[in-house]
Amino acid sequence: MRILRFVGRRLLQLIPVLLGVVVLTFLLVRVLPGDPIRSILGPNATEADADAARARFGLDQPMWKQFLDYLQGLFTGDFGTSIQSGGSVGGEMALRLGPTLELVVIAVTIAVLLAIWLGIWSARRADRVGDHTVRIFALFGNSIPEFWLGLVLILVGYATLGWFPAPSGRVDPDTNLTPLTGADLVDALITGNGPAIASSAAHLVLPVLTLVIGVLAPLLRSVRASALEVLRSEAYAAAAAHGLPEKTLLRGYLRRATLVRLPSLAALVFGTALGSTVLIEYVYSWQGFGQWALRGLLYRDYPVVQASVLIIAFAYVLVFLIADVVHAWLDPRVKI
Amino acid sequence: MTAPAGTPGREAAMTVSLLDIQDLSVVIHRPGRSVAALSNVSFTVAPGEVVGLVGESGGGKSMVARAIVGMLPNGSHATGRVGFDGADVLRMDPADLAAHRGRGAAICFQNPRGALSPTRTVGRQLIDRLVTHQKMTGDRAAESAKELFASVGIRNPGRRLEAFPHELSGGMAQRVMISLATGCAPGLLIADEPTTGLDVTLTREILRQFRHAADTDGRGVLLISHDLASIAEVCDRVVVLYAGTVVETGPAAKVLREPAHPYTRALLRSVPDVNGGRVVPTAGGMPLMTAAPHDCPFAPRCAHAGEDCRTARPETTSLTDGWSLACFHPQETALFAPQEAAPASPSDPAPLPDPQGGSSVAPGASVTADNAEQAGRVVLRVQDAHVVYRSRFGSGGHHALRGVDLELRAGETLGVVGESGCGKSTLAKLIMGLVEPSSGSVAVAGKTVGKMSRVERTRAQMVFQDPIGSLSPRRTVADSIAEPLRAAKVPADARAAKTEAALSRMELDNSILTRYPHELSGGQAQRVGIARALVGQPDLIVFDEPTSALDVTVQAQILDVIADVASDAGHGSVFISHDLATVRGFADRVVVLYLGRVVEEGPVDEVFDRPKHPYTRALLGSAPRLGESRTAEVQLVKDLDEADAATGCALAARCPFVTDTCRSQEQTLQSYGESRAACWRVPELTALIGKSA
Ligand SMILES: Nc1ncnc2c1ncn2[C@@H]1O[C@H](COP(=O)(O)OP(=O)(O)OP(=O)(O)O)[C@@H](O)[C@H]1O
Ligand code: SF4
Ligand code: SF4
Ligand SMILES: [Mg+2]
Repeated sequence: MRILRFVGRRLLQLIPVLLGVVVLTFLLVRVLPGDPIRSILGPNATEADADAARARFGLDQPMWKQFLDYLQGLFTGDFGTSIQSGGSVGGEMALRLGPTLELVVIAVTIAVLLAIWLGIWSARRADRVGDHTVRIFALFGNSIPEFWLGLVLILVGYATLGWFPAPSGRVDPDTNLTPLTGADLVDALITGNGPAIASSAAHLVLPVLTLVIGVLAPLLRSVRASALEVLRSEAYAAAAAHGLPEKTLLRGYLRRATLVRLPSLAALVFGTALGSTVLIEYVYSWQGFGQWALRGLLYRDYPVVQASVLIIAFAYVLVFLIADVVHAWLDPRVKI
Repeated sequence: MTAPAGTPGREAAMTVSLLDIQDLSVVIHRPGRSVAALSNVSFTVAPGEVVGLVGESGGGKSMVARAIVGMLPNGSHATGRVGFDGADVLRMDPADLAAHRGRGAAICFQNPRGALSPTRTVGRQLIDRLVTHQKMTGDRAAESAKELFASVGIRNPGRRLEAFPHELSGGMAQRVMISLATGCAPGLLIADEPTTGLDVTLTREILRQFRHAADTDGRGVLLISHDLASIAEVCDRVVVLYAGTVVETGPAAKVLREPAHPYTRALLRSVPDVNGGRVVPTAGGMPLMTAAPHDCPFAPRCAHAGEDCRTARPETTSLTDGWSLACFHPQETALFAPQEAAPASPSDPAPLPDPQGGSSVAPGASVTADNAEQAGRVVLRVQDAHVVYRSRFGSGGHHALRGVDLELRAGETLGVVGESGCGKSTLAKLIMGLVEPSSGSVAVAGKTVGKMSRVERTRAQMVFQDPIGSLSPRRTVADSIAEPLRAAKVPADARAAKTEAALSRMELDNSILTRYPHELSGGQAQRVGIARALVGQPDLIVFDEPTSALDVTVQAQILDVIADVASDAGHGSVFISHDLATVRGFADRVVVLYLGRVVEEGPVDEVFDRPKHPYTRALLGSAPRLGESRTAEVQLVKDLDEADAATGCALAARCPFVTDTCRSQEQTLQSYGESRAACWRVPELTALIGKSA
């Protein structure tokens, strides 16, 4: 009940934040140098052509009018029309968001679980060989640039071993997958399309792995540090001195106490991972949200930039909200 | 060894021992230094026996506890034998050790709040122990967890099982800790300082739990404490540690009444007694041993030390059955001359300006006019002060003081006592102008505290509980002491002279002036704190628990200094303490606080010898007395709970004499003889107590 009230309050706080984001992106994107109209018209267009195009996209209106139109559109769920493609921004985004979210959510979930398991394992062997090995590998993974790591994984996983499909999309077109959410694995599961499940899962392995390796280190370091802190705490020593078996100690006295500080870091990592997808999508020819947003920015496609920034901001706020709820659930001392 | 005639349990206790420590030495190696934490320690604990392990901080008490469960710190090297049920803990393999911990010996940790896991309900933590050591199944364990909670006196055990540690009060956390340790069904229960930080009314109750564990379940109990007098009552035998060596062992009653080792005697003399017994300080502090001693480690502080004591280490020799000590010159004289301990004698070592109590008159009591004029000017007047700590977000708040009236004259010392959370420190802050009264007024030397200028504020000074923490870490001692003088705009040359004068009064050497706080011992730092309070010749000095962070023998030294300072005619003193005995030492008048109200007030001897209010009676009844074992005539039924303060008498929820009138009627101070108490049943109480006894 208290949790519901807390979530409700936080969602209300979301409104001014998003409104601020809307205003800021609207202004910033217009302050940036570059003209979206020129970029679609090509070199031979006349001034009159440009004016006509500008009128078509409403760019000839005064700034405040443009803003009000944009805002009105947002309230009716209309993100506007892409200057580049001429398609509906909302529709394009829906198609692109699914695959990227699928990638990021799977990768961050795996990274968090792996970090919990390895971090606790490592802390229990603090300063022994196993501990050092884990930490060095994590650090190594953290310091390799993602696109390079992606290329290496393709070389090994596809070119040399041939275990994984070529980096040319998200699912084999022959499987006739009906797109629903845009997240291929989810769609395949929903429609019960066996070959598509196998194909989309296989296509996910390498990009997910790239992302996991990239974000694992900070999570691991945090879990290990707080596990060590718990292991050295008076409370843990007391439980050990009362002769509780290893399994009880691990489950009841170490794990939850270790995890209390993880959620906010995991939320931060989720944000980082969302940013990293731009490169990863590029390397794996993954037609995702990152690629789409980047293209929009390069061509000054105002509606696309505005929509993508808004969605990213929304995702951030939502993920931090989830993190706070999880934190409160894990740590009884937190009052919400 | 033959057992003295006694209960069958005791007889058995002498013959088979559960714990048998022989010649245990522990050296902790750290880069660049080593510490001899224990040197040749030997003692035994039998099933059903309660053994007290006493000594000051650093004496090695906790190290003994750790050795018994095989959890010595990293880098330690242990020799000797820790025999437990025939096996040697020091030589156990991991599997045996795992079986030994908990089931063999279980510790009740020193700081129960820290020793409870914060993210698991206390009920689960207890069930974990029951399942592990008593092989219970889930439902059975939950059932007996509830019973165990009830048996250690937890109210509402079913609901408390679901609580997390941070939701418990200190007393309740301590009870939970005891239940966790007993839930392991150990042969030996080790309690490390089980009553530190607890209120006096709880202390006895908690100690009784351990006696109970020995008597009914036949467990051996090792009770670790720095305070011999408070635990002696429930112990069969005591072991006294000093600098990692056993200096005296023997039956509790013997060691308490006729201690033979000079250190044991120093320890006992350092503790003030509610009967008004005198505190005799022993100079110096415990040395830090780097290797096992080759002389008597107590020699530098010992009044009886001879040449032999400095050249050889005294062997442990047996005096009579079960009583042994390590000293070349055992003492046989009585600890205190008998008449000295009598309650009626003035207890203060320093002469008071007016020991007959002319100045110690309650503001409301009828006083003859010239008596009142003889007394000094009024230095502190608090009228109907309320303090409410607002909670951070608007509504609610904590009502810490609820209408306090006080008056104090120069040359007078006012003692303020009460359990933790009753508002003692709030009162101190109020007087110092560190919190604002939400209604009522506070005036120091006739000026309202809130309206004072910076210079006027220096007229009231405070001595804090944490001696080192209350000094600025970046200031030298000289700077710290001169601080009030600077604030009062005293010229530099006068400052230096006054600082030195204050310092020499504290019996500190001038060489200390250039040192920083971290280079001082607790005792030295507290002397500096007192010098700082004294240096500007203030109208009022407030002492807020000035000795509770110090070691027992150091406490006695500081109490001696404070008694001297408090007896000055130039200023009034307020002495705040949760410990009744220290207050009796030198206060002229006392007020007893309960949940933000004054429940009793009067001349010190009157309040201590003829307490009126049921709460005061309970407090005094549960205070330990040297060499006496008795039950309190009034026992409060429950633990302190803030919610009780709502309407009517604040004590109503805990008072054995409560009636409906108490619950509905606000109680105000009324005169009963020389003192005043806030309880309408005072006249009937003597008869009521007689009936119930
Ligand atoms: N981990 C450690 N490393 C080095 N020295 C230690 C360590 N723990 C304790 N000591 C030293 O061992 C000696 C005995 O310490 P111990 O904790 O047993 O004292 P204690 O009697 O329990 O004191 P207290 O009343 O403060 O709890 C002290 O000199 C202390 O400084
Ligand atoms: S051996 Fe000597 S120095 Fe040590 S306590 Fe006895 S008399 Fe004092
Ligand atoms: S007024 Fe009643 S409840 Fe309060 S102390 Fe007196 S007898 Fe007890
Ligand atoms: Mg200790």
